[in-house]
Amino acid sequence: MNTREAKEILLLYRGPIDDSDPQFRAALDYAKSDPELGQWLREQTKCYDTIRAKLRGIEPQPGLSEKIVRRRAIPFPHDWLHVGQLAAAILISASVTALLMKWSERRHSVAGAQEVVVTGEVLDMTCYIASNLSGPDHAECAKVCIRSGEPAGIKARDGKVYLLTGEPGHSVNAELAEYAAQVVTIKGRQTVRDGFVQLQVEQIRKL
Amino acid sequence: MSADLEFENLVKLYYGDLYRFGLSLTGNETDAADLTQETFYIWANKGHQLRNAASVKGWLFTTLHREFLKTCRRRNRFLNESVEERLEDLPNVPANCAERADSQTLLRILGEIAEDFRAPLVLYYMEDLSYKEIADILALPLGTVQSRIARAKIQLLRRLSETTLPVDQSK
Repeated sequence: MNTREAKEILLLYRGPIDDSDPQFRAALDYAKSDPELGQWLREQTKCYDTIRAKLRGIEPQPGLSEKIVRRRAIPFPHDWLHVGQLAAAILISASVTALLMKWSERRHSVAGAQEVVVTGEVLDMTCYIASNLSGPDHAECAKVCIRSGEPAGIKARDGKVYLLTGEPGHSVNAELAEYAAQVVTIKGRQTVRDGFVQLQVEQIRKL
Repeated sequence: MSADLEFENLVKLYYGDLYRFGLSLTGNETDAADLTQETFYIWANKGHQLRNAASVKGWLFTTLHREFLKTCRRRNRFLNESVEERLEDLPNVPANCAERADSQTLLRILGEIAEDFRAPLVLYYMEDLSYKEIADILALPLGTVQSRIARAKIQLLRRLSETTLPVDQSK
């Protein structure tokens, strides 16, 4: 090893954190026998420490951690018993739906909606979709938006979002505004068109 | 420990480091705060998929970096120019050159380095991560990471020594 090779290796050396890394061992030994290289190494580690301290000294915006905690998404429950129950429920629900659809086709029925029960956070869809705003921190704004007629929604625990409506000609925004950003259970009729899932509210229950 | 408390502790532990990483990548406080929030939002939804609790820090940094790259692509301002420094050009940088630069100057110079090289360099300086961990976070081979850090470091030190440093305010 010569001085240049040692320098190339030691350019990445940061100090004690790299002492256990074998790639630096031989070069560090070489630096002990070369005073000029030793001086260069001391200067470069000092420079590393200074840059590191200055970058690590940057403080995050005030209140950022509180904001992150307040706007936390509703987590998806992940215990396997619950997942199993959910899968079984979906399977049964899908089978029943398929049977009902076949029966309904035979009877030439026009009813396409499916009765569902959804638990989740009541959202102000305008702010949620545009700016990802939800949670207690955004409750007041959501209340005002929903009350003034902006579309409302519900985000279920599995992350699925439903557009909430009343029956045609009957708005449920006044009732929903009272539950803005809160977790509720809604029973209603689900319909899907062009990728949008709508839930026509029949009953709201606060958890 | 409840899930809420666990989440809160995780935020307290890592939000500062993630914010600084985001700030060094974007050079913008608002973008850095957004990236940090988005990272924890993704954690709240997908964090349970992580089997090894010891790799939480790496997972968070990887996620923030991925989100940053997505933003770059969306904004169509992805800088892919390479850093042309050669190892033969090892600079003789005065020991005090970094002392005279403030953190804003450092961030500005970092922002001038191509993103491919900036991310490994920032992780090298700011986090107590091994080279293997940095390589895992950025999904790059170990040799590539070390070579990028070396080249980017030479560029950073050169620019630091060339930059007009802030005038002493006390004068």
